[in-house]
Amino acid sequence: MSQTVIDSQQPVQTAAQAESQWRLFFRRFAKNKLAIVGALIFCALLATAIFAPLIATHDIYEQDYNSVLAKPGNGHLFGTDDLGRDVFSRLVYGARLTLQVAIISVGIAVLIGVPIGLITGYYRGVWDEWVVMRVVDAMQAFPSLILALAMAAALGGGFYNAMVAIGIGFLPSFIRITRAQVMTVRNLEFVQAAKAIGASDWRIMFRHVLPNSMAPLLVQITLAMASAIIAEAGLSYLGLGAKPEDPSWGSMLHIAQGYLNIEPLLAVWPGLAIFLVVLGFNLLGDGIREVLDPKLKR
Amino acid sequence: MSKKQGKVALSILLAGSLFAAVGCSSQSSGTDAGTGNNSAPKTGGTLSISLDADPPKLDPAFSTALVDRMVFQSIYDKLVDVNENGEVVPMLAEKWDVSPDQKSYTFTLREGVKFHDGTDFNAEAVKFSLERGMDKASNRKNELNDIEKITVADAKTIKIDLKQPFAPFLSILSDRAGMIVSPEAVKKYGDEFLNHPVGTGPFVYKERQKGSSITLEKNPNYWQKGLPYLDSVTYKIMNDANVALMNLKSGQVDITNKFPYKEIENVKNDPKISVVNEPGQGYQGIHLNTSKAPFDNKELRRAVDLMIDRDAIVKVVLSGAGSAAHSPFSKSQFAYGDSDKVEQPNVEKAKELLKKAGKENGFSFTLKLGTSPTNQQVGQMIQNMLKPAGITVNLEKVEFGTMLEQSKTGNFEAVSLGWSGRPDPDQNIYDFATKGGSNNYAQYYNPEVDRVLKEARQEGDQAKRKAGYDAAMKILNDETPYVYLYHDHNVFGVSKSVQGFTYYPDGLIRTASISKN
Amino acid sequence: MRFLVRRLLLAVPVILLVTIMVFSLLHLLPGDPATVILGQEATPEAIDAMREELGLNQPIVMQYLKWLGGVLQGDLGRSLVDHSPVSELIWQRLPATLELTIGTFVVALLIAIPAGILSATRPNSWIDYTSTFFALGGMSVPHFWLGMMFIVFFAVKLGWLPASGYVPFTENPLANITAMIMPVLATGLRESAILMRMLRSSLLEVMHADYIRTAYAKGHKESFVIFRHALKNALVPVVTTSGLIVAGLLGGLVITESIFSIPGFGKLIVESIYNRDFVTVQGAILVCALMVVMVNLLVDILYAVIDPRIKVGKEAEQ
Repeated sequence: MSQTVIDSQQPVQTAAQAESQWRLFFRRFAKNKLAIVGALIFCALLATAIFAPLIATHDIYEQDYNSVLAKPGNGHLFGTDDLGRDVFSRLVYGARLTLQVAIISVGIAVLIGVPIGLITGYYRGVWDEWVVMRVVDAMQAFPSLILALAMAAALGGGFYNAMVAIGIGFLPSFIRITRAQVMTVRNLEFVQAAKAIGASDWRIMFRHVLPNSMAPLLVQITLAMASAIIAEAGLSYLGLGAKPEDPSWGSMLHIAQGYLNIEPLLAVWPGLAIFLVVLGFNLLGDGIREVLDPKLKR
Repeated sequence: MSKKQGKVALSILLAGSLFAAVGCSSQSSGTDAGTGNNSAPKTGGTLSISLDADPPKLDPAFSTALVDRMVFQSIYDKLVDVNENGEVVPMLAEKWDVSPDQKSYTFTLREGVKFHDGTDFNAEAVKFSLERGMDKASNRKNELNDIEKITVADAKTIKIDLKQPFAPFLSILSDRAGMIVSPEAVKKYGDEFLNHPVGTGPFVYKERQKGSSITLEKNPNYWQKGLPYLDSVTYKIMNDANVALMNLKSGQVDITNKFPYKEIENVKNDPKISVVNEPGQGYQGIHLNTSKAPFDNKELRRAVDLMIDRDAIVKVVLSGAGSAAHSPFSKSQFAYGDSDKVEQPNVEKAKELLKKAGKENGFSFTLKLGTSPTNQQVGQMIQNMLKPAGITVNLEKVEFGTMLEQSKTGNFEAVSLGWSGRPDPDQNIYDFATKGGSNNYAQYYNPEVDRVLKEARQEGDQAKRKAGYDAAMKILNDETPYVYLYHDHNVFGVSKSVQGFTYYPDGLIRTASISKN
Repeated sequence: MRFLVRRLLLAVPVILLVTIMVFSLLHLLPGDPATVILGQEATPEAIDAMREELGLNQPIVMQYLKWLGGVLQGDLGRSLVDHSPVSELIWQRLPATLELTIGTFVVALLIAIPAGILSATRPNSWIDYTSTFFALGGMSVPHFWLGMMFIVFFAVKLGWLPASGYVPFTENPLANITAMIMPVLATGLRESAILMRMLRSSLLEVMHADYIRTAYAKGHKESFVIFRHALKNALVPVVTTSGLIVAGLLGGLVITESIFSIPGFGKLIVESIYNRDFVTVQGAILVCALMVVMVNLLVDILYAVIDPRIKVGKEAEQ
């Protein structure tokens, strides 16, 4: 990600200038306490996902019918779930699923949405105004969770289908943001200059326009990851989404809802985990925005 | 009262004057003390019953769901009813004669009964309702398939001729197929009848808020003298059993049709709530698709069946509110017996079977299941239980509509789908195990099973019928097109202010004789 | 004026596209309505009869056009499940959802406006940090989880509020309000966080503008400057996003309504998707899309009122 930020200034800057830009970005970022907290949470999520086998205390699939819904203690840090599995270990492995949700669903939205936004924003015209943007409008008038729900049902349940559904729900916002950026950048001097020396449209779009539109996209990506995690949790909570045996935090909530009277803690842990991680992404996105946009300077 | 005082005081506030003074001597103002002494049932008041789903169709001819039948008990009367012991007893029909060849039933109908819209109940109305159920678009068609001819002899006598003897017939008439609707109302409302249901039952349909509640009012002209006791009945839709329980505790609901299993123990000593926990007539299990690999192989089906520890499922998932199953017949049915006995899990034997099938290293299959927590718990337990034999279960969550379609078209390897159960054993096995049966998702066929089950439904003698079902189950338990898992209980939460609640084996709440203190 | 006419014209293809999307999406779903409606016991003949009766044997395009023709005459069709008019079903469910939406906005505004102003006028103060942190926190809480936690504390542990059990306002206002407190708070807190963030950043932007400095220079009091000049301009971007918020809210309410068993609009859509009740889903989503489009239109009008500089091409730049 950071590499593209350097690239973004490429056409008009020397390497040294880029270097200093880069430093400036970091210096500003380091001053933003909330953003640092966000980055730390993100790193913690990453570390938990990578080192899950080392952190987990139990086999996450091992059921113990004699210790169902046990309170914390007895070797189970957060107690056990409805089938006697260790809640702590499942939470730890859940980090992997959460990370996958964030990356895959937003990845789908970026890979499809950004090129569409780039092309329509660059060429404009009837197609842009009466087709693409109207479809985008239509998608945004459609409650996204309902869209995801219907799609998850259409594609059949399952983790990856849920992510495709969520990713498609994000398409409109990525198309819009890219398009808006492209429209402001396309008339800038360096783009006109590239045109003048006869660069092809494709080259201009991907070499010049896109890198310079990166900043708001980066913010949007981070924030979309936060929403993606919540959306997946919502789908799993409604019973669609991850496989039953996999420790998705949303599915854990789905099961916990049945035991709110008896074992409310079961609903507290996965909810807290989702909250923390989403907070991390939001803080990070917010921080990047402030750093990149001097007008918002504190 | 001591510790409970605060809570009780709160519930008085919440429940208004509905609270009955339970074991509380100091309380004498306002409330009608009456619990304990068998005084005459109090009349008046509103009973609130929570249902776990919104009844889709209040028309017996098109009804598809168990919850529909709950509401029907109040709106419609049937030709015959079942009593607490599951025996068929008179209702709208005062008596009936069965011809010696068991092919002809003559019903003598009750006189002076009127529909809610004021029109007369008579033999024509019965003929009309039955023929409506026999229509090709009706969901009762299957149940009434054997009717050849319906003849109205006079206003109070009707004769039904069957194509062949059909033992479950009376029992079927004790449910939706035997509910009599007002012909006038059907003509008047047409397609919309299900939003304007009119029967002869103890309560009259008043209004419904879709997704929220159904309100019925007392039928002042009900044919059973003195009944119903209540002024009105409200069914409230509460999808979550825990939520329903909270409302029961706070007095906003008097009866819940589902109860969170884990809470059964906890409310044992609750002064305001009692739990009715009785065997139902249904079962849960897994259809194995016998028309394609891997389950076109009998040994593999048997191996799966053999590895499942049903007692553990009953203990963990149902908290004991159910029993392990190996047949479709629960304790409340005459066909229940040794066929329901469960073999204990046996890895050695399962491995032998796998070896015989040429899969000594195990195999894997996909199990489709619904999205409810219970489905997922059962699925995960089975996944775990099959592991030691080297059988890998890939669980796939499927939304109900999709699951139904895929089951009917045979697009599955294994699918977890139960049955809510009917009073007559035939209705719990025939269409599931015979060739072309509407619920034979496993696409199983064994001519011997077909023959035996057909004989059993044509036989009048219960002992002989049971022998038939035993014989069929012997084959089915060996060939295992369906893995029976458990019979779940019907568990109701009932407020102690409710009097006259009686459990019927069909698990439906009869509101006519209920009163509230 | 030209701008608004153009805006209206652009809304027509959007609404048409929404209905086409709904229609094709639902037809992609496995599980045909007849099978789902008739349930487990249905015989193949009954399913066929049902398909015929529901008009499902016609080509999809015909079904769509027929439905569209009805809609143009103000007829949303009849539910495949219970034959009642879809408009009636929607009408029955709308009050609960409207109440929830309005309540959510009230809660959101009551929190967002003071908090946004406080933190924007005192950047980098502890008030700013706390409210920013809480706002980001509020945005990060899955509101269905918040709903569950509310139930645990206020209904189960404390017994202050009913866990659920929606009662129509007309039937029992008090019971209605007590039942709505938790759901409204659960969604309102989240929306307030989003609004507060937006208000803060746009206020911050505005506060640097020349005319604000001029106003200060003239010796006006801070409160006067903020309410007279800054807030008005800062609200522009906040208002423009309300359309998206409404759309997001309607989707989010699906879960809120299912946690608290509120028979609202979102629940109707979900139930109908599960029942493959195409006609009802189409009708409901059409109404939903219309609401979003209308809110957007309203926003544009407001936008023109608040900010006279608005130009014709502005919409395309969003």
